[in-house]
Amino acid sequence: MQREEKQLEATLHAILNRVNDLKSAIQALITKLETEYETINWPTFLDNYAILSGHLTGLSKILQAELAPSLKSVVVLPLQLGCERDEELARLTEGRVPACTHDLVPDLLRTKPEPQAEQRLQQLNHKASTLNFDTAQKQVAQFTKVVSHVWEIISKGREDWEGESMRSAGMQPTHSIADTHALVTAVGTGKGLRPGMPPSLPPGVGGPGMGPTRGPTPQMGPAAPTMPKAPSAIKTNIKAANQIHPYRQ
Amino acid sequence: MAANAPPMTATDSLSQAVKANIIHNQEYLLQGSVLDSAVEVLLHRLRGLCDNVDAGPETFDDQEVCFILRDPNQQALPSMLRVRKALDARDMPYQLRYIGQADGEKNRPTVLRSVLDIACSGMLFEFLNELGCRIEYEYSVKGYMFRKGRMKITVAKVFKIPQSSMAPEPISQSYLVELSVLAPTGQDAIGEDMRAFADQLRPLVQLDKIDYKRLSHMAGQ
Repeated sequence: MQREEKQLEATLHAILNRVNDLKSAIQALITKLETEYETINWPTFLDNYAILSGHLTGLSKILQAELAPSLKSVVVLPLQLGCERDEELARLTEGRVPACTHDLVPDLLRTKPEPQAEQRLQQLNHKASTLNFDTAQKQVAQFTKVVSHVWEIISKGREDWEGESMRSAGMQPTHSIADTHALVTAVGTGKGLRPGMPPSLPPGVGGPGMGPTRGPTPQMGPAAPTMPKAPSAIKTNIKAANQIHPYRQ
Repeated sequence: MAANAPPMTATDSLSQAVKANIIHNQEYLLQGSVLDSAVEVLLHRLRGLCDNVDAGPETFDDQEVCFILRDPNQQALPSMLRVRKALDARDMPYQLRYIGQADGEKNRPTVLRSVLDIACSGMLFEFLNELGCRIEYEYSVKGYMFRKGRMKITVAKVFKIPQSSMAPEPISQSYLVELSVLAPTGQDAIGEDMRAFADQLRPLVQLDKIDYKRLSHMAGQ
């Protein structure tokens, strides 16, 4: 008996905590709505709702837990209803419930849904049970089609937005892989840096591709037999000195 | 210093230094490039990320000449030596650099190659010519250098040296970006730091391991 009592007390404590959290979350939402109603936007609002739903989930988890059966055997009965203002009650509820009147109590101690809500639920249940299989399937298919259509519209819209924001931010390529390769090979192996000495051409070949770079130096012809590649007079001298170097070949 | 201790020869001190693993003979390298239109943005970003925010980026203007020493009997592979001289600071020593083969380990985040840097006087060209080295190619680089801790980042434009006194001509519309660290052998953790820093420069620049030998073979040269 004592153990059950302790359990009950612990459960009640936990529920109380959760309910307090929920209460503060709702309060925050209401304050937000009241003070920032001009500047609030939908996602922020949805975030607050998410907080609320988180608290509700926590509460329901506790209620579904194993400690709950002890609560099912406990009944809350209003013993006395009064019309006068009760200071104690008002203090407990922070001024929201000044008196335990008979119009507030049914709402506060409600276990079934409201009569109107219950009636509508009953109607829908009845309708659903009388629906035959084919119609139901057709309706489901239509629903899926509508939802996927909406999904496509949204994703297309998102792509357009993101594409546009990327374009407007100037996300042009800021580096070119070809240039990287060109630079690295130039620095590493000298490709493109030798005005007359590409590494693969053997000495002695006139290098017909060098023609355009050597247009302005017409003394190429007589120099060709002795100097295979030399675009200008100055370079010719240097290359000559290297070619007749005693250690070379 | 004891008066009767044998004088330390240069070879002794060098071999001691090698044994103690204090010589920075490994270079960890990442390379990339950035288009001319985006280089200002990159410089701003580097200025914020790197050390010495207030002093502004350090500029450099170097000329690099590559010498190749071929074996007269064609037995050994030719070795390449690079000489770099500063065009904007004429009294600085020339830097003679030997760069070894990059190790092709795939798991490494950076290129790792052995390098040897030696400061030399201006007689270097004659000396190398006497040794038998021949000029293979040359270029000039001009740009900015940033440091972050041990890492050195250079953003520079590579120019072809003109034959006559024409203006140097850039070889592409991009700046070459290099991130390098000189370290003694065995300090592989710096590669991860480099990779993390390189990621901060994305998507402006894609710094990667680039194997230029493989590229030059692929290009058919």
